[in-house]
Amino acid sequence: MQRDVGSYPLAPTVKVKLIGAGFLTAQDIAGMKPLELSREAGISKEEALETLQIVRHESLGAKTCFSEAAYVIRKCTALELLEQEQAQGAIITFCSVLDDMLGGGVPLTKITEVCGAPGVGKTQLCIQLAVDVQIPVCFGGIAGEVVYIDTEGSFMIDRVVDIAEACVQHCKLISESHQQDEYKEGIANFSLDSILSRIYYFRCHDYVELLAQVHLLPDFVFQHQEVRLIIIDSIAFPFRHDFDDLSLRTRLLNGLAQQLISLANDHKLAVILTNQMTTRIGQNQSMLVPALGESWGHAATIRLILHWQCQQRFATLYKSPSQKESTVPFHISALGFRDVPASGPHLSSPEFQTNPCKRPRVEEDEQ
Amino acid sequence: MDWDQLDLNPRVLTAVKKAKIKSMSEVLKYSGPDLQRLTKLSIVDVQHLLKAVSAELRKNSVVTAFQMYHEKHLFTVQHQKLSLGCPILDSFLRGGIPLVGITELAGESSAGKTQICLQLCLSVQYPGTHGGLEAGAVYICTEDVFPNKRLQQLIGQQHKLRADVPLDVIKKIKFGDNIFIEHAADIDTLNDCITKRVPILLLRGSVRLIIIDSIAALFRGEFAAKDSAVRAKYMQTFGAKLQNLSSRFQTPVLCINQVTDAVGDIDAKQSNFGLLDKKVAPALGITWSNQLLMRLMVTRTHYAEAEPEQHPAVPSPQYRNVLRIMEVIFAPHLPQYLCYYVINLEGVKGRKDKE
Repeated sequence: MQRDVGSYPLAPTVKVKLIGAGFLTAQDIAGMKPLELSREAGISKEEALETLQIVRHESLGAKTCFSEAAYVIRKCTALELLEQEQAQGAIITFCSVLDDMLGGGVPLTKITEVCGAPGVGKTQLCIQLAVDVQIPVCFGGIAGEVVYIDTEGSFMIDRVVDIAEACVQHCKLISESHQQDEYKEGIANFSLDSILSRIYYFRCHDYVELLAQVHLLPDFVFQHQEVRLIIIDSIAFPFRHDFDDLSLRTRLLNGLAQQLISLANDHKLAVILTNQMTTRIGQNQSMLVPALGESWGHAATIRLILHWQCQQRFATLYKSPSQKESTVPFHISALGFRDVPASGPHLSSPEFQTNPCKRPRVEEDEQ
Repeated sequence: MDWDQLDLNPRVLTAVKKAKIKSMSEVLKYSGPDLQRLTKLSIVDVQHLLKAVSAELRKNSVVTAFQMYHEKHLFTVQHQKLSLGCPILDSFLRGGIPLVGITELAGESSAGKTQICLQLCLSVQYPGTHGGLEAGAVYICTEDVFPNKRLQQLIGQQHKLRADVPLDVIKKIKFGDNIFIEHAADIDTLNDCITKRVPILLLRGSVRLIIIDSIAALFRGEFAAKDSAVRAKYMQTFGAKLQNLSSRFQTPVLCINQVTDAVGDIDAKQSNFGLLDKKVAPALGITWSNQLLMRLMVTRTHYAEAEPEQHPAVPSPQYRNVLRIMEVIFAPHLPQYLCYYVINLEGVKGRKDKE
């Protein structure tokens, strides 16, 4: 970067003006915006832009060629795809029945949509996955980083810390029971701080900001090659108010889904979207369905619906290309997303009916 | 918006202006091919345009959770909460009400919702070291008149309720001067209030708490059953406006909601938040629930407080302190759990769970 401005292939008049304004080396120019440069050096904006392009291109070398690479058509056989899919692993949820239902966890290179009524555990699942994606390889994780886009403001750092600490503790127990060196190495680099520093958080307040952020994601993921998971919590909120033009909404959502699919494919990462539920009023009964309309249903590859039944939370796999439709119970404890404890909340024990004011207290809920 | 600030070739900018695209957010509403058609630019130029516009709109770049957790002074929203003025209730809610987001307080009449709100109006005025935000509150009444007499009573009792705060700090605060009361009898007035008058108060910094008592009265009263789609739309817009205010000014919004009798059907089973044991559910349905950050429910029990009465001057049994229950229905950072509390002359006080 210490290269002389004079040595670049620039027009002589521009060179004179640049040097006259005190720009001697490439380093002086590289960080500037074209507008600033044109004002400072007294050259036109076109000239400034051209100068910057030449200087940046020569100093970065071949680093900018990725955008063209995206247009190369990739070809692979079904066998290669199968091998790739088996090799790339999945993100576990810490709820074993849910993992089994999804075929080992949340798959990479696919979009998974999580729908559910408020309070059923969508955000909890997101935070749990944001932590779990970072589990070191030796513990069966994929050691990735995570991009968390929050549109509702429900990302609570306290809760992230709870779940991350529980996860570190879990891995510590494993490493203590196994005496191999690889576990020790794995746990040494896996701490609360390391987990937190690998969660990249973006807050988007409206749909324009969300769209802009998604446009910037390819570059961000390119700079952070370790990112294995993108979470948008929730996709529904910014798109559910102030939209008079519903065809515009459908268009924008479809575009968004396309961008996310290509991101997921290009960088081998998983995408999690959360969606709200809405009431569809039918002929004689109304029912809860995922929001954003019928066409949005095609956007996600996997659709998971979380719901309450009596006092138990359940997850239903509603749409999946490879797994069969089924329903499993899950539990949210102080430690995070978990299996239902064996002696857990009974569905309707006589105790509740006699004393309606009390709810069962699960051991872990106490703090 | 200033197009010239963008890191773009003037040729691209001219093309954009020619295509009559006025604002940057409008650019994002078009897909890549649409933009190519409109501006007659090449695909590479369009990509540059989209990236530059996006970068300009998303100036606040990435933060990691690590920064959020450790740099407390920069991310006060994640660390500071609004105290309820009672240490037991605060620890129950992990510090109090979150600064950004809509918190709902649902409950039957006479469960103590308004009392909790009044106490919040006072506790918000304390300095940060005592759990407040050092600003006033705006209280929007839609049902009843504002219970001014009770407020004055509470102000008079503050030194007893907040024994932890030095007396001179309490004396210095002019509690009554910082509570702004608005009456809104219909949705249009309410809309007017939160789009025009409340932002002025927030901009001036004189207010850091918005209370709406109650949200249900308006929406339940003004719409017939067949207008539920229109009602849903109104509620979404309204919820979005409140959220916007809340995050722009880091101001908690507290909405009081009524409850409705739960009638068993399939819909209710899926969305009743696991409250099968409850006879009632918060009103306004799932559309409103979707707007909330957290939902609290308060109920009144039939039991009186077990401890001997602190004020022997109150003789008759119906003035005994009735035990009430505050319950977390959902919140991103709290388990579903409950806490007992009582309301007496001094205000709302939590009780440790002894039973």
